[in-house]
Amino acid sequence: MWLVRPAQPEDVDGILQLAADHCSQLSSTIPKSREGLAARIELSCQSFAGERGPDRYQRFLFVLVDSKDNQVQGVAGIDGRAGNGQPFYNYRMDALIHSSHELGVSRRVDVLYPSHALTDRTLLGAFVIAPGLCDSDAFELLSRARMLFMACHRNWFSDRMVVEIQGIQTDAGEVPFWDSLGRHFFDMDFDTADRYSGMLSKTFIAELMPPNPIYVTLLSESAQQALGQAHPATRRTVALLQQEGFHGGNYVDIFDGGPVLEARTNNLKTMVTCQRKQLRSTDAEDGELCLLARGEGLDFRCTLSGVSEALDEVIRAPLTVLHNLECESGCDVMVAPL
Amino acid sequence: MLLIRPLQEQDLDDLMVMAEAAGKGLTTLPANRDLLSQKITQAQDSFNQRCKPEAGLFLFALEDTDLKRCVGISGIQARVGLDEVFYNYRVSTTVNASRELGVHVRTPTLHLTNDMTDTTEICSLLLSDSHRKGGNGLLLSRCRFMFLDDFRRHFSEKVFAEMRGVSDSQGHSPLWDALGSRFFDMEFGQADYLTGIGQKAFIAELMPKYPIYLPLLPPSAREVIGQVHENTAPALRMLQAEGFNFNGLVDIFDGGPVVEAFIHNIRTVRESVNRHVLLRHKPVDMDVPASERVMVSNRSFRDFRVTTVPASCISPDTISLPPEVAEALEVDSGELVRLAPLKDAGPAPIHGGATAP
Repeated sequence: MWLVRPAQPEDVDGILQLAADHCSQLSSTIPKSREGLAARIELSCQSFAGERGPDRYQRFLFVLVDSKDNQVQGVAGIDGRAGNGQPFYNYRMDALIHSSHELGVSRRVDVLYPSHALTDRTLLGAFVIAPGLCDSDAFELLSRARMLFMACHRNWFSDRMVVEIQGIQTDAGEVPFWDSLGRHFFDMDFDTADRYSGMLSKTFIAELMPPNPIYVTLLSESAQQALGQAHPATRRTVALLQQEGFHGGNYVDIFDGGPVLEARTNNLKTMVTCQRKQLRSTDAEDGELCLLARGEGLDFRCTLSGVSEALDEVIRAPLTVLHNLECESGCDVMVAPL
Repeated sequence: MLLIRPLQEQDLDDLMVMAEAAGKGLTTLPANRDLLSQKITQAQDSFNQRCKPEAGLFLFALEDTDLKRCVGISGIQARVGLDEVFYNYRVSTTVNASRELGVHVRTPTLHLTNDMTDTTEICSLLLSDSHRKGGNGLLLSRCRFMFLDDFRRHFSEKVFAEMRGVSDSQGHSPLWDALGSRFFDMEFGQADYLTGIGQKAFIAELMPKYPIYLPLLPPSAREVIGQVHENTAPALRMLQAEGFNFNGLVDIFDGGPVVEAFIHNIRTVRESVNRHVLLRHKPVDMDVPASERVMVSNRSFRDFRVTTVPASCISPDTISLPPEVAEALEVDSGELVRLAPLKDAGPAPIHGGATAP
C-alpha cells in the first residue's frame, strides 16, 4: 500500500538513489549532494514540527513509500513562501506596442521582464517519482497529498500558489532557451548552471542574469518556440495540476523558459472537495477510491484506499489503512475523492 | 580655381545631380528636390543669421569657378537633437561575475542614448567624381574647421561626425537586418531614406528602448558595430588625422561609429594662423600639388570663402595673393585671412609666430 509521509533523515539514501536513477532528464530542486539533501530534510522536519513558523520560510519534503518495505519511490515538496526569503525570479511575458502616428505603424513587440512578483507565493516543487509509477494512482497520491496537507494546515500557506514546470530539453540534453539566453552570461551549459542552482540557490544564479528586459525577437528560433512550453515528460504532472485548477499565466522560468502555473489556494479542487470525517475500520475492501490523510505536522500521513460511507460523519476503510495512517478507529481524517 | 562659399539657390540643379549620383548611403542629402531646396534656404538663413543660432545649418559649396558649377558640398549642423530627438547606441560593457562560480563574463551591450543632443555635427560631405583629386575632398572637409574655430560661440565645444556603417552593394546592413528590421518591417535603404528626410526620430520611436545584449545578435551583426563602410574609410582616416576619435557611440541603424573632437584640439585649428593680405601682381604659378598648398579663408561669417594657394605665397607677416584670388575671397590688401595646411604633414604655413617651438 502506498503511503505519503514527511521525509525523515533515514530517507537520505533512498532519495539520493531515486534522484540518481530518474533525474538525469528532468532536473528538480532536490539537492544532489548528501550534505545538501540531509540539510534539506532537517529543514523539512523542523518545518513539519512547527519549529519554523510561516514567517521563517517553511520548506516541506514528502516521500512516497511502499508500506511493505518502506522504500522511497517518490519525493514532493512545498515551499511555504517562494524564494524562501530571497527574491523569486521569473520572466514575465509581456508586450509593448511600438507605434508611430507619423508613420502610421503599430507593432507588437514581445518582451521578457525579470520579475519578483511571484515571491512569497506558496510553491509546489521537488517532484520526482519512479518512472514505473508515472501512470499509477500513486502519482496522483504523491502530488495531491500536498494539497491535503495544506488543507490541514491552511494558515501556514499563502493564498496563491505557483508551480514551475520543466521546460523544453532535447534528447541530447540541450536546452534551447538557455543556449540562446542564459548561456551567454554564464559561459556554462545548462546542466552545470542547474547543478550550481541546486548547490547554492536559484536566486543566486538568477541574480547573475542580465537585469534588463529581453526582446523575444532576438532569441533563436528554437528558443522562441520553447518559451512557455512544458517538457513532454511533465505531461501527467501538468494534466493533474490543471485538474486541480492550476493554469498557465504570463510567467516562465528564467533558465529553460518552462511555464509557471498559478492557482488560488482556496480554489484548488482538493481544497474544495476534501472533508473532515471520522474513520472506522471495515472488512470490506471495496468502495470509492479516495485520498485519506490524517495527522498534524510530522505525524501527517496520507494514503489511498477504497472508502465506504457509513453515517454522515463516518467513513469506513480496511484496518490495514488505519495501521498505515497510524491511527485508531474513530480518529479524524481528511478525505478527498480521487 | 576651386572655391568654398555658402551654398546658394542656383546650386540646386548641381546638387540634385550629385545627390542622385551618390545614391543610397548618403543619408543626409537624399535626392529629393523639395528637400534639397529647403536645405539651401535653411543654409542661407543660417549664414544671414535669420534663424536662431542653435538651428543653424551651414552648407558650403565647392565651386569650380572655371566651370561656374558647384562640384561638392559639406556642412555643419550647429546643434543636433533640439527639434527632433537624436538617437545613438552606446556600446558599453555589462559584467556578470561570481567568485563562487568562477564566472566573470563580459557582455557588450548597446544602450539607447541621446548623448549627442546639443552638439555640433559635421555632415553632408559630397564631392563629384570628376573632382575627386588634388585635395578637393580635404578642402571641402577641412574648411569647416576654420569656420568652426572663427565662430565658436555659434557651436558647441565638441563636434562630431556620424560615419557611414557597413552595408553591402545591395544596400543591406547586417545590423539593420538583425536588429532594426525585427522591430520595423522595412528595408535598410528605406529606413535610411526616411532618416534623410527628417523622419529618423519617428523610426527611432519604433526601435527597442531597452539595452540590447550583443551576444543575442548573430556574429555578422556584431562584427559591423563601430565599423565604417569601405567607401568611408578614407574619410575616417582624414578625421582621425585631425584628432577625431571614436566616442563609443554608434548609429542605431547600421552601427557606423560616431567620432568626435574638441574644436580647439582639431589639427587644422591648431595649425592655422592669421596673415595680412598683400596683393601681388607678379604672376604666381598656382599649379602646385596639394601637399604644397595651404587653405586661405576670408574669415567672413556671412560670406565665408576658402580657396587654396601655394605655400610659397606665405611670408612671415603677410600672404601674397594674386588679384583674382583676392577677388574670389572678397578680401582687400591689408585684411586678415586665415591659413591652414591642406594636407596632413604638408608644410605648416608658419614662419615664426603662434606655433613655433
